[in-house]
This record gives sequence, C-alpha cells and structure tokens, in this order.
Amino acid sequence: MTNINLTDLSELQAINKKLVSGYHISEQDTTLWQQLDQKIDAYQALFTALGHDLIHDARGFYYLGSDESTPNMGKISRAIALTIYILIEHYANQGKDPLRALFDNIADLELMQTLVQMNKHLFDQLEIFSGSELRKDVYLRMVRLGLAKEVEQGFVLLAPVYRYIDALMEVNDNNFDELEEEV
Amino acid sequence: MIPAKKVLNTLTEHWSVIELLFKRFKMTDFSIKDVQNIIKNKNPHWKSDKIFKETNKLLNQEIIIPLAKSSQLEINRAIADFISFLLQEEDLGIAAEITVLVTDLERLGNRLAQSGEDGDFTELRRFSRIMDERVRKIVKLFSHNENAIFNIVEQAKSDTSHVSLQKRYKAVIEAFDEYIEPMLEMVDIRGDFHRCFNRIEVQISAQIEHIELFGRGSIDKRMLEQLRTRILDMHLVGRESLRKSADMLMPLREELRRNNLITRQASKVLGLIRKNGVDRTLSAVQPEFVSDIQRFSLGQQRHMVAYMASLVEFEHDEYELPDQTDVPAYQSPNIPDYNNVRTTFAKTGQKRTAILGFLSEQYPDLEADEMLFLYQKLINDTDLELQQDEQRTSVSISGQTFKLYPFNAANKQEQKNDKH
Repeated sequence: MTNINLTDLSELQAINKKLVSGYHISEQDTTLWQQLDQKIDAYQALFTALGHDLIHDARGFYYLGSDESTPNMGKISRAIALTIYILIEHYANQGKDPLRALFDNIADLELMQTLVQMNKHLFDQLEIFSGSELRKDVYLRMVRLGLAKEVEQGFVLLAPVYRYIDALMEVNDNNFDELEEEV
Repeated sequence: MIPAKKVLNTLTEHWSVIELLFKRFKMTDFSIKDVQNIIKNKNPHWKSDKIFKETNKLLNQEIIIPLAKSSQLEINRAIADFISFLLQEEDLGIAAEITVLVTDLERLGNRLAQSGEDGDFTELRRFSRIMDERVRKIVKLFSHNENAIFNIVEQAKSDTSHVSLQKRYKAVIEAFDEYIEPMLEMVDIRGDFHRCFNRIEVQISAQIEHIELFGRGSIDKRMLEQLRTRILDMHLVGRESLRKSADMLMPLREELRRNNLITRQASKVLGLIRKNGVDRTLSAVQPEFVSDIQRFSLGQQRHMVAYMASLVEFEHDEYELPDQTDVPAYQSPNIPDYNNVRTTFAKTGQKRTAILGFLSEQYPDLEADEMLFLYQKLINDTDLELQQDEQRTSVSISGQTFKLYPFNAANKQEQKNDKH
C-alpha cells in the first residue's frame, strides 16, 4: 500500500479539478505534469481510492480513464475523432508525413474551412457546416480537454491525440462486422 | 602513361573545379563549354587563352574524357571513384558484389590448399597475395556501403520538402531490401559467409601447421598468418558495419511503415464512416472522457466498485460504555472560595482596579476557565456595583496584552464597602 502524504501533493487541487473535467495533463502544463511525474504512485493510489482510474500514457500525458461518457461527451469525442482522421487523410493526400504534419502543422481557419468543404457530407452528420463552427465545436473543445493548444495563428495538436490514433487502429472490419450483425 | 604525380598535381590545382564538376554532373555528360565556364567562374581573373590551356590539360591527363562517338565529356571513372571516396559521397553497392568476391575467395582458398599439398610454394605465395587483395577489397566495400547508407539516411531525414513520404524513403527501403537483408542473411552465424570463412581458416591453419612441421619459410608462415587474421577481421568488420547500417535504416523503415499503416487505416475508417455513418462506426472505439457531471454521481462501474469496496471494509464497532470502576476520580477545580475572593476584591476596591487585573494579580496560578468562572461570578454579584469603563484600556494577562472596556468596581460601591 502506498503511503499518501497529502502535504506532498501540493498541486492536488489543481490536478483534480483538471482531470475530473476530462482534461489531459501533458508536458505543456509544466507544474502539474512534473508533480504527477514525480508522485505518480501517490496520485494513482489516491484517485483509485476515489473511484477514478488515473492513467499514465508513456507518450507523455495523464488522464482519468472512463468506460463510458455522457451522450454529449460521446458526441464531442466522435467529432474530434472524425476531425483527426480527416486531417490525417488530408495531410497524406498532400504527400506529407501524416503523423509529423499532424503534430507540427498549425491548423488555422483556412485549413478548417478546406476540411469542412472537402468533407461536407461527413461534417453534416455532426451538424458542423463551416470552418468557424469546426473551430468552435471541435478545436476549442480539444483545447478544453488538453488535446490541443491555441497558438497565435491557430491550433496545435498535443500528444494526447494519440488516444485517437490508437482508436483509429482499433477499428477493423471484424469488429465492425459484429456490430452490423447486432443491428 | 601519364605520370601519377602530374595527375595529382592537376587534381590539387583544380580541385574546386573538379569538385564542382563532380557534384553538378555526377553521372551525366557535359560539354567542354561547361568545363570552361566553371574554370572561369572559379578563377575570374584568368584570360581566355589560359582557361583554354587548363581545359586542355584536364583533357590530356584524362581527368575528363570524351564520351564515345560524341563531343560531350565525362569524368574519368577512376577519378570519379577517387573523388567520391574523398567526399564520402558514395553510392550503395550491391550485395552481389560482395557475394561474388567471397565466393571467389573460397575458390582461391581451395587453390591455395592444393598448391600447399603439391609443395609449390611460388603458387602458394601467389594465391595468398591474391586472397589478401580480395579481402581488402571486401572490407573496403563494407565501409563504402556503410558510408553510402549513412548518406541515404541523412538525406531521407533532412528532406522536409513536400515530396511524398513514399518517394523520400524510397532509397531507404531499397537499401534495406536489396542490401541489408541479403547481406545479413549471408553474414548470419549459419550463413554462407561463415561456412566459407571457416573452411578457408581451416585450410590456412593446415598450411601453417604444415610449414611449421617442415620448418621452412618463416616469411610464408607470417604471410599466411596475416591472411588468416585479416579474414577473421573482415568477417567481424562486415558484421559490425551491417549492424550499424541496419540500426540507421530501421527507424526510418519503421516510421514509414507506421505512417503507411495510419494513412491506410484513416482512409479505410473514413470510408466506413461514409458508408455507415459517424455514430455507428466510431461509437465502439472512441476515447471516453470523464466529465463534470459524472463527478457527482455513482454512474460508472468503477465508482460503484470503489463504493462497494469501502462498504466491505466497514467494520461494526460496539460502543463500549465505561465501566464503573474505570471512571476517573473526580478532581475538584482549584477554585478559591468565592467569599474570600469577594472580600479581597472589596478591599482592593479603593484602587479602582479592573476585575480582570485584580484576578490575575491575586491568583496567578488559576486556569483560564477557573478564572473566567470567578470573573463571571463577580460581575453577576448584585452586592457589588460594577460599571463598565467608557474608554478602552489595555490589560496584560500572563504576558498577553488585550484592549477592552474593562469592568471596574464603581467608586460609590467602594466607599459603601469600606463602611461595612
């Protein structure tokens, strides 16, 4: 059993506040990240006792795992997933290295408009009809979840986006066939 | 034949020109005009007849040679190899090159053994020399290819232009599939090279023993020993070089493979989404987040588990009533008799002291609650007439200073008390 010394966990309040709202703490949140990095055992024990599942991803971020989310959160998550997959395809079509471009390139409003225009029928399903709606409904929410950060010209994606790339690799014909059978 | 020193001098003299020619027209031909332009460019103050003379010098010394049946020129292949060695701009050779040399080495080893058996020492020496030559050549090829792979990797990495990934890494993939993999197979501990080298080693060792036995030709012996060492060393160098090359190429290859996989998967998933709709395709796999609402509910399974876990750990404690014998003996408070206090207070009345001051002076050992008890009693005593001060004064009790409106014994009362 890990000994939890609450006085050591000086950032507990800030960390808890961020994590329970679904935020991903990555290296850009220097203070919180360092604290988690150093005291991960204590934090993990504490959050487990509280009924949370504090997950440390080796690619450099921490978040609270969850089996299911509220319908609203689910919808947001799907919108983010769709945007990221479309971005990957977009960069690959341009002949860029998709993974590198995904994290290096800055997404500005112009890019968002292009994405929405080129994938109109996909974004229609999510009720996103313009670049500025994409910005508001997806990118700003990504910032709130710690998946992206806002910079001068637009948005830059952060390491927690790897969760979506993992999810992408999980989709395969088999599990989709099963889904179809159920329906 | 052109004297070597002359060629070297020309190379030193015109190195900048030759380097530029090599870099610009690596594998292609060029005209005499190009050469003259470059010379002019590098030596702007030269007159045209001097430039003409120098160009002719390059041609005469066969540093640049005319292409067959054409007025175009090219760099002499031998010179080009030398330049590429100097500049370390080598191109990757093919695995077969090395394989052929090794096979030849095996053949020469057999011949060497044969001539040893026949006792023909001239032949023995000759073959040993040729083998030595071959081994050096193989080692050179290994290091040459290692350099070439290093260049390939550097180029692939530094190229941030918008060339597609596929094109950028084409050389990497080629190098891997056509050089590294077959070579690794050969060099492998159970591979062809190993077997071949083993056999040669055994043959040479036998020869050395033979020479020792008959006690002749220490020079031959040393030569053979050197050859044996060189072959063993070559095997090691080859393995090292290949491992290094593979280490350099592997990450790039992995990266490419991964990127390809991700791109392909993204297109596939987007295709599925187009066909089946966003919600149906992604619901099963999307990452989930905790949200504020869930914080206040026991909605999730893990919350329930944690809650149940705390229930499991709950232990019912009987509340133990104290035993009669256990009751600690009653300790009466250390309060002086009130009547005594009252009379003492009445006596000091003339000085018109504050009650608090009086109490702390008279009974410095009293506990706070006990003092408060006396204070309360004195204030509520109807016989004593007390009044609260109009202005604030500071009172110090046991080292602490307070500011308050103290209760004082009224003057009138004091006089009355005096009469008593």
